[in-house]
Amino acid sequence: MLRNSFQARIAGVLVLLLLVVIGALYGAVQTATNAAVRGQAREQLDVGSLVFQQLLDVRGRQLHDAVQVLAADFGFKDAVASGDTETIRSALANHGARINASAVMMLSLDGNLEISSDRQISGETAERLSTQVMQRQREGVQIFLMPIADKIYLLVQATVSAPLPIARVMMGFQVDDVFAAELRELTHLDLTLLATQTGVADIWISTLQPQQLELLQDNMAELASDAVSLIGAESYLNQTLVLASGDGFEVRALLHKSLSQAQQAFAPLDQNILLIALVALSASLGGALLLARSVSQPVKQLAAVAERVRQGDYLVSLDLRRSDELGRLAMAFKAMQQGIAERERQLAHNALHDPLTGLPNRTLALERLGSAITAGRSTALLYLGIANFRAINESLGPEGGDLALQQLSRRLQAVLRPGDSVARIIGDEFLLLLENTDSDSAIAIADKVQQLLLKPLRVGTHDFALECRIGIAGYPVDGNAPEELLRRATIAMQDAAGMASHLQVYQRGRDDAQQRQIRLIRDLRHAPGKAELLLHYQPKLDIADGQVRQAEALLRWQHPELGMVSPGEFIPLAERTGSIQLLTTWVIEEVMRQLCEWAGRGLHVQVSLNISTEDLLDPQLPGRVSKLLTDYHVSPEQLIFEITESGVMLNPEVALQVLHGLRDCGISLSVDDFGTGYSSLAQLKRMPVQELKIDQSFIRDLDDGSEDSVIVRSTIEMSHSLGLKVVAEGVEFERSLLLLTRWNCDTAQGYLISRPLAAKAFEAWMAQHRHAAASVVHES
Amino acid sequence: MINKHLHLSFALSLLSVWLLSTPLQAGNLQAELVDEQGQPLANAVLTLRSAAGSAAEPGTAIMDQRSQQFAPTVLAVRSGTSVAFPNSDNIRHHVYSFSLAKRFELRLYQGTPSAPVVFDSPGVVVLGCNIHDWMVGYIYVTDDPWFAVSDEHGRVTLDQLPAGSYTASLWHPQAPGMLPQAAGELQLTEAAKQQRFTVAMQAPAAQAAPSAPASAFGDAFKKARDAAQ
Repeated sequence: MLRNSFQARIAGVLVLLLLVVIGALYGAVQTATNAAVRGQAREQLDVGSLVFQQLLDVRGRQLHDAVQVLAADFGFKDAVASGDTETIRSALANHGARINASAVMMLSLDGNLEISSDRQISGETAERLSTQVMQRQREGVQIFLMPIADKIYLLVQATVSAPLPIARVMMGFQVDDVFAAELRELTHLDLTLLATQTGVADIWISTLQPQQLELLQDNMAELASDAVSLIGAESYLNQTLVLASGDGFEVRALLHKSLSQAQQAFAPLDQNILLIALVALSASLGGALLLARSVSQPVKQLAAVAERVRQGDYLVSLDLRRSDELGRLAMAFKAMQQGIAERERQLAHNALHDPLTGLPNRTLALERLGSAITAGRSTALLYLGIANFRAINESLGPEGGDLALQQLSRRLQAVLRPGDSVARIIGDEFLLLLENTDSDSAIAIADKVQQLLLKPLRVGTHDFALECRIGIAGYPVDGNAPEELLRRATIAMQDAAGMASHLQVYQRGRDDAQQRQIRLIRDLRHAPGKAELLLHYQPKLDIADGQVRQAEALLRWQHPELGMVSPGEFIPLAERTGSIQLLTTWVIEEVMRQLCEWAGRGLHVQVSLNISTEDLLDPQLPGRVSKLLTDYHVSPEQLIFEITESGVMLNPEVALQVLHGLRDCGISLSVDDFGTGYSSLAQLKRMPVQELKIDQSFIRDLDDGSEDSVIVRSTIEMSHSLGLKVVAEGVEFERSLLLLTRWNCDTAQGYLISRPLAAKAFEAWMAQHRHAAASVVHES
Repeated sequence: MINKHLHLSFALSLLSVWLLSTPLQAGNLQAELVDEQGQPLANAVLTLRSAAGSAAEPGTAIMDQRSQQFAPTVLAVRSGTSVAFPNSDNIRHHVYSFSLAKRFELRLYQGTPSAPVVFDSPGVVVLGCNIHDWMVGYIYVTDDPWFAVSDEHGRVTLDQLPAGSYTASLWHPQAPGMLPQAAGELQLTEAAKQQRFTVAMQAPAAQAAPSAPASAFGDAFKKARDAAQ
């Protein structure tokens, strides 16, 4: 978490960059100083070797001068000429002592050592010396180095002339530690002189520390000139000079420049760099942390606020006074927070209020009702609907309607007492919640509202009076759940439509009936598919010969839960909700199928069935029926379609077209429920019908001399005169049948003959009644 | 110059005195002395010895010092000859010799020292001047009766030589070991004889010029410095 934080990353990157820079810097400084140290060391070595050379030359020249003086001394010449060895030796010693020469020798002209101040010189050395002297003589060199015994000498020779050369004198200056130290003083270089001779131990003279010298002696072979070599812990740049070499001997000088020492001079620089690096690192680390903190702290703050906003808390304050980008971000955040809060408030308001009128909506009304119920306050619900709102909408247009609703809502609000509230539920329906109000007071208030609304509203240039229906329900009398109470108030409002006062208090039980209706309406659509429908057949008696050759197919609905539902209940529902055509389509096909089945068993019946008004307006119907007839091999003469007058009247043109189509198929048509409508016989004449069915309300209590008997009798007569057959339905009593027989009615149908029967039962009844029916007629 | 001529005439007069005293019937020898390359050799000494051995009497000779040089450079004398060392320069000289044949020293003087030096034993006497190192002169002291020093053309003429057989010797300062060389027998008649003698010479030593003394280090240092570059 911390490792991934912005703070850590900034600090990390900064420190890393700084480290790279410091590393590069340090590397560059190191390279430069190393090069400088090396360059300096080499220069010092060069200068040192020059100084060394000069030193040797100067010393040599001094010696040479001294030797020259000696050689030129008349007395010395005299002594030499005298050939007195001891005298010569003493003279040599004397002159040698004058200039601190370590060795003085006299050699013959052919180089033989004749007299030496040092008596220890071996024959071999003397021989070597002679060779050297002669060689140097040939080369014209008077000054040279040579090891003699265990010492290294700077040798200078001069010729003794008297006046011709008679001998050579040679002086040796011992090159020793003092000399090396002097050189070191002058050049700050360490010097090692090494003389090797065959048969004699090497001579080492050095200004190095004894231990270092030992190491050097061990590693002499590895020592390369102009290369850095490690002697002990210190590194040196070396220069090797071969100062003298000859048969069996060599004198070499090694100049050492300690790089470690030279680098010491740069040590403070390294320390400074380290110090600067440390300071810069810690400063940048601190700076980075501060910088990152100054960024991450507000970001954290913003994140916290965002989290609070996510949780719905818009009031948390964001105190970030900065003028930079983060400050602007904080400002934007603040604005966003306020914007979200405002919009959420708006959304909440919209969710609970009606945008048109600004009144609480259904949800809020239910909520308030709920809280009233929770608090146990008795509350009256006034459900208010505008009866003539559709008319207003049509004449003013939707905008006018909206204006009217707005005015209405203002008026309603004016009525309210404190604690009461009004809500717009939907469209033109409003709900008033009146707290602490019983139903009597509610009625009074409802009346007052009605009166108030009757005062004309002015919308534009029009004045309108609103006719409102009010349904009343109350808590706790009519229920204790908000939804239930609202539903019941709605039912009461619907019921109020039928009241003169347009005011209705909820009647107990109304709700259940409506619930059943709603369920039936919903389930009815699926009834044909779920095989819940079935047909019962009620035999129709041919009065003239007492035979039954006809039946009416009657639709039955076996609801899986509600049981048998009466056609009187579900047919009007189907008609109202537009599912009647589904039913009639099913009926037509079922009848055909049944007829086909019966025909297979030798039963030939003419079946009448009811088709709805919707069917009559369907021009496709004749075609569909015709196809079914063909499919089921049913003769059209076996079918009678019963229609209602009102159905035809709704759209006579189409209906007549459909009827003619059916008639053309060969199907008979019958007018059902004749007498209940307003149609006249003259109108009937225009329809292609063959039969007329007198409504059972005229037949049921048929009695000689009653008003109904006149109507029935005259109807029969007129029908006959129009060439129509007449069916009487609802024949329940013997006397009715007798009257009908007397009046020459053609067919009778009713419980007297038989109740409607299921297909199987009807089939059995027909078989059994062939004779019985005939006997009944004949008995009467 | 006048002085020089004076000395020359004096020397000639001495010579003529010596020549007049020899027998008249003698012949003369004209010798040409050359080195091994055939070049005429000046300052070479030719001596003749005869069994008959009539020797010239030792007399006196002069080794002059002129222009800070010994004149002549080579002087041949008969043993027992007294040689005067006049100083013709206007500076002093300190003539000496450490030669075995004659050790002597004439401390700083001007003009002619009072006593001439007698060279009584044969040999080479190398003369030097203690204050002028470059001054080198030779006095060849011989027992042979006849001798002469070659001129710059290498010519030597010996007159009044009795006819007979002679043993010849040659010497020159650069002769090996500075020793006389036997030049063989010589038969002389009264007639003049011309003879050519070759003197063996020591290879001329490379005489170091009197300059700053050289050391052997320059090269070594230079080499090392070059290597370091």
